[in-house]
Amino acid sequence: MRIGVFICHCGSNIGGTVDCARVAELARAFPDVAYATDLMYSCAEPGQAAIEAAIHEHKLDGVVVASCTPRMHEPTFRRTVERAGLNRYMFEMANIREHVSWIGKDKEANTNKAAELVQIAVEKLRRDKPLSAKSFDINKRVLIIGGGVAGIQAALDCADGGVPVVLVEREATIGGKMAKLDKTFPTVDCSACILGPKMVDVAQHPNITLYAYSEVEDISGYVGNFTVKIRKRPTYVDWSKCTGCGACTEKCPSKKTPDAFNEFTGPTTAINIAFPQAIPKKAVINPEHCRQLVKGKCGVCARVCPTGAINYEMQEEIVTEEVGCIVAATGYDLMDWTVYEEYGGGKYPDVITSLQYERLLSASGPTEGHILRPSDGKEPRNVVFIQCVGSRDRSIGRPYCSGFCCMYTAKQAVLTKDHIPDSQSYVFYMDVRAPGKMYDEFTRRAIEEYGTEYIRGRVSKIYPDGNGHLVVRGADTLMGEQVEILADLVVLAVGVEASKGSPQLAEKLRISYDSYGFFMESHVKLKPVETNTAGVFLAGVCQGVKDIPASVAQGSAAAAKVLALFARDKLENDPQIAAVDVKRCVACGKCIRCCPFGAIKEVEFRGEVKAQVIETVCQGCGVCTSTCPQGAIQLAHATDNQILAEVNALCQC
Amino acid sequence: MPVLNGKELRIVGFLCNWCSYGGADTAGVARAGQPTDLRIIRVPCSGRIDPLFIVKALLNGADGVLVSGCHPRDCHYSAGNYYARRRLEVLKQFLPVLGIDDRRFEYTWVSASEGQRWQHVVTTFTDRIHKLGPAPRLEDAEPLLKIADMALTSLRPLGTGQNAALDDLKAAIKAKLPELDCVIGWQQGYDAAHTVPLFMRTPEDVDKLVWGPFNVNNPATYLPSFKGRKVGIVVKGCDSRSVVELLQENLIKREDVTIFAMPCQGTLDMARVNQELGRYSAIDSVSYDEAGVTIVADGKEHRFCMNDYAQGKCYGCTTPSAVLADTRLGTPEAVQPGAYTPPELAMLDAMTLEERLSFWKGQMERCLRCYACRNACPMCVCRDYCIAESREPQWMTQEATAREKLFFQTIHAMHLAGRCTGCGECQRACPVGIPILALRQQIARAVAQLFDGYKPGLDPEAVPPLLGYELEEKNIHEREWK
Amino acid sequence: MSIIRFVNTDGLPAFLAYLSKDARVLAPVEKPADKKSVVFEEWTQGKPFTLEKATVPAKEAVLPQCETLLTYKRDKDPEDPSRVSLKLDDTPQAVPTVVFACRPCDARGYVTLDRPYLQGPMVDPYYKARREQLTVLTLTCPRGCSTCFCHWVGGGPSSPEGSDVLMTEVEGGIVLQGLTPRGDALLEGSGLEDGAARFPDAEAARKAAWATLNKAPDLKEAPAKVAARFTDADFWEKETDRCLSCGACTYFCPTCYCFNITDEGDGYQKPGRRLRTWDNCMSPLFTREASGHNPRTARALRMRNRVSHKFATYPENWGAFSCNGCGRCISNCPVCLDIRAIVLDAVKTES
Repeated sequence: MRIGVFICHCGSNIGGTVDCARVAELARAFPDVAYATDLMYSCAEPGQAAIEAAIHEHKLDGVVVASCTPRMHEPTFRRTVERAGLNRYMFEMANIREHVSWIGKDKEANTNKAAELVQIAVEKLRRDKPLSAKSFDINKRVLIIGGGVAGIQAALDCADGGVPVVLVEREATIGGKMAKLDKTFPTVDCSACILGPKMVDVAQHPNITLYAYSEVEDISGYVGNFTVKIRKRPTYVDWSKCTGCGACTEKCPSKKTPDAFNEFTGPTTAINIAFPQAIPKKAVINPEHCRQLVKGKCGVCARVCPTGAINYEMQEEIVTEEVGCIVAATGYDLMDWTVYEEYGGGKYPDVITSLQYERLLSASGPTEGHILRPSDGKEPRNVVFIQCVGSRDRSIGRPYCSGFCCMYTAKQAVLTKDHIPDSQSYVFYMDVRAPGKMYDEFTRRAIEEYGTEYIRGRVSKIYPDGNGHLVVRGADTLMGEQVEILADLVVLAVGVEASKGSPQLAEKLRISYDSYGFFMESHVKLKPVETNTAGVFLAGVCQGVKDIPASVAQGSAAAAKVLALFARDKLENDPQIAAVDVKRCVACGKCIRCCPFGAIKEVEFRGEVKAQVIETVCQGCGVCTSTCPQGAIQLAHATDNQILAEVNALCQC
Repeated sequence: MPVLNGKELRIVGFLCNWCSYGGADTAGVARAGQPTDLRIIRVPCSGRIDPLFIVKALLNGADGVLVSGCHPRDCHYSAGNYYARRRLEVLKQFLPVLGIDDRRFEYTWVSASEGQRWQHVVTTFTDRIHKLGPAPRLEDAEPLLKIADMALTSLRPLGTGQNAALDDLKAAIKAKLPELDCVIGWQQGYDAAHTVPLFMRTPEDVDKLVWGPFNVNNPATYLPSFKGRKVGIVVKGCDSRSVVELLQENLIKREDVTIFAMPCQGTLDMARVNQELGRYSAIDSVSYDEAGVTIVADGKEHRFCMNDYAQGKCYGCTTPSAVLADTRLGTPEAVQPGAYTPPELAMLDAMTLEERLSFWKGQMERCLRCYACRNACPMCVCRDYCIAESREPQWMTQEATAREKLFFQTIHAMHLAGRCTGCGECQRACPVGIPILALRQQIARAVAQLFDGYKPGLDPEAVPPLLGYELEEKNIHEREWK
Repeated sequence: MSIIRFVNTDGLPAFLAYLSKDARVLAPVEKPADKKSVVFEEWTQGKPFTLEKATVPAKEAVLPQCETLLTYKRDKDPEDPSRVSLKLDDTPQAVPTVVFACRPCDARGYVTLDRPYLQGPMVDPYYKARREQLTVLTLTCPRGCSTCFCHWVGGGPSSPEGSDVLMTEVEGGIVLQGLTPRGDALLEGSGLEDGAARFPDAEAARKAAWATLNKAPDLKEAPAKVAARFTDADFWEKETDRCLSCGACTYFCPTCYCFNITDEGDGYQKPGRRLRTWDNCMSPLFTREASGHNPRTARALRMRNRVSHKFATYPENWGAFSCNGCGRCISNCPVCLDIRAIVLDAVKTES
């Protein structure tokens, strides 16, 4: 072989602590290296041009670039060598930036280490073989998991782009958290008015199949060809017959059913429709509170239903959908704030969450838009808002900022004044974070026009004064004094956490999640929508906290990724996959047993049973290679001989 | 390239591309300073890491090996790290028997977001290796020869099988013979003190069948070569476990195999018998009684009491009767529950790590790489395609060094992890008496400890533990990085 | 009359020290284990040795399990790294060697190896270099053994063939008899006492050993009969059904001389080596072709090759069996496969 080695300075990023010229000089002694040099910025246009020129001039048939992480620029340089006429897989990278120059200051040690990393890259490249991708058909349908505003946006954009969409929503209605909001900041426009039409569009769009009250049970397959099993929970109402007339909910005798949609601010009926604008507008029976289902007698709803839609015998159902890619938009939940004993730990009815407050503010909520406090149904005068309840708090393992609480608190303070003009709002805050368009201006209005009193400091204790008020005691760190406020209602800006079941879903999707359960994007800055699993994209808060505009933007971005993927008629596999050496295979089937993808099958070959890799299914993990005792199944570009060559280069000294 | 003298030690890392390699990148982006010793080999998945890569590195001069993959439940390939976790844990428990300090190998899980954790892992591990210092090399070890204490107490009465229903067995085989290609058993070898495998195809062949303490060979070794044909096999309890393990691994089909079984009362350790007999011209007589065998050779009488001369495995045997059989004759002796550590393993347990390295140096020097150990093994089904002798892949050189020979034994042991039934044919077959069974026994002990007392070859339906996984492993816990 | 010397049992270490003055001495050394083995190892002052028959023959002295035929080093031109120069060194690694206390079957083994390596159309320089510097001190066998059959194949417990000195244990010590000028010279310089007086004891011991042997079958017809079996597949199938196809029989044989050659290392960072290692016709790799095709996939065909080579082909080429009846293939076989039985079956029954 004739290998070219290019050592990148990355400006001073690498050059500062690695003697790049020396590494190039050492590389010249490595086997098959015909040319080695150092470049200032190998990824920049002149750098790539220099690599291409060297390939031609020195008749190179393989290239090693030592620069940053291959997770960043491996695709870039593969294209570079391809432009110069090489197979794109005749290329290896040595990571001498993240793994060398940025983590060590000892230039001698770094230089030596960089040279060794180049050496193992050379040894691997010497055993690389040109590979070519296989193309396979795409199923141009998309699964969107989660029908909040991000999922809705992604679904509508995909559907408008002509892609059939399967939308799965865990709750009985789409709309997500946004559907529960009364108004939205900073415009204070009605949430239902802007979200409602989109929800209707979802219901009416010919390209969208909606599975509400359903969850993703299992996902198999790979980009272009996923098979998804969806578990439809029993609603006990035949939705094909239900017209959403509401007759059942009026007559249902079980009127003390907890109302999840209203954040448990008031009761509802055992059979109910979440809210008037619900999509689908269909009734669902809560089996834990339905008298018929619990005690076996009642049957009122079945009697009153004009279409005979009630079915107490309904069982859950698994449906299978075939799709080509998946968007996860599973949103968030609020953390369990009752861990805070200082706020009463849930003991005081008039300490509520901001989302509960939204339901109190909402005209479709339990109080029909009147702010009435839960304990006695009276209108509060003094309302205290406490920020960062479960955000930016290391003591409970939640160091991150939930992002949008500062803004909705300002909004809620404004709305409080609108609803109850003689009320006074107080906000205990740590910092006010208002970096969006018109955001800071909005906060100033809350303070200046609406008289909201902002107190910088933490609340140390809330306790009842015995006269129906709550004493909120805290510190004003700006004034350096203790403050006590007699509150009628306390609203906690409870921090955001990943939606329940996110880790389990991530496992089904084979994507990563961070320590808080938020899904990991492919690159924090440059690939915020992609995941490391091809064909799986992210939208909304499931990827990290964000507000409505950002969620909508990411929903559209995910849709753009889907449409871009589907713009092609065929996909190409990554040819770095396993292959069976039929001579060595003894058909023991261990590889078949261990393959996580079912990508290996038994075939007859000249009268003998042998294993065979299904090329478009294999994802290239290499579990089979380390399982096969004969070494009969080898993962291209991570063969036993390649890894052994790397080990030998490092260890036989 | 040489290790930087005095500054660095040789530490090799195997990192999965998706999580831990990314975690190391994240640490770099955060400028999280780390010691410079570690050299990272990028692999797609921790499941790609054959534990033998790690042994290769450690035998070839690495002072430490660090493996890192995605956290359990977080594998990019959904299950690769589950397989890795089991295999790597078995390896970790295996290394000390070779004389390699298991602290020199560690595996962990670091996600792409955990740059700080990666920094901590690398720093802690490098620090640990520096505290341990350069790894002792097999090449520098002083050969040590030592013999295991064979004065053992059996978990069940040992005898010569005097009352075995041999005639009934012969009748049963004759009755079945027309349906079978052949039935594998034992016959007398070149003299009455040696027995060899017998392949019965005619009723006359069946008359040659013998039963008794000389039946040392494991006939299951031949089963895979009969794949696809109807074959009968006469088994001792231990042999039957090999048959079951072959069934577990789909290497033979149940409907193709007819199993004839009689309870075994122990077999002779022919190594010690032959040594006691010494060089003789001819056997004059072999006579049996309940407790043992008396051999007269060249007019000299030698007494072999089964309690003193059984194979090491027989003392700890808990399956005197076949675990699976179609025709079963006789009643087995009851097994007393009790602890049993195989003699060679007990000897190694009592040694320091340095002594073990010296021990293997001393033993491996005389290995001729004849591969009798491998070919006698009923579970070595690669046969013609053993990786010890191939160039593609090339795991070993042809050099006759103790390192290469010990590495082969490690290959065999690791390939037997969760599969070895402890039949001991490898060691029995070794012409120069290298106690290699101890390596398989250590693997078996580790597997039993990790997987709730799992013993290979007891249940045809059981999934061999290293071909499966649990999401939560009961007995494998991540070590803390303090 | 040859030189005769006598050495007391106590005087053996001093004698070995004398031998090792100018040569590497390979002596039988006991390896304690549950299964004890005896191997030839380089003797150094103070090292215990044994006079037992070794488990492994002394073939190592001329044909090591692994030897470096040549080393190669590639050097790159610093100006133009694509220019690589190659340096080879193929000097045979041979040192003067004395084999001490091998048995007559081992010594005859050297004669068997000499024919193809030295007397054929090609002379093997590596073998030659070793063989020319080899002195063989053979200990006669005191008696026959159940697995031994040297007297079937032209040898015997005191066969002198291949030896420079023949040693026989007698009461109190060993009588050493020079057989070749090299052996005589070695004994003359040894300072050992004259052994002529004890020589009759030695002769008596040798005779006694012969007397313990069974009657040897007549194998004159063996080459023709074994060759005639070549196409009798059933015969080989039946004779070898229990063979495990390992290499014990060939690697422990004093006359098996097949080898494999491999290159280890690319020669860039450190010199690469071209190795010659023992090969083994019982292994499927022995005949596997580069295409993957293998003309001898069945064990029976491989065993046919081994037995035919020793009892038909080699005799056809060189006029002697290439089996010296040491019996190691029988005693070391994991399944006690008995080459005697195969040959006798071939000779006895009609094909």
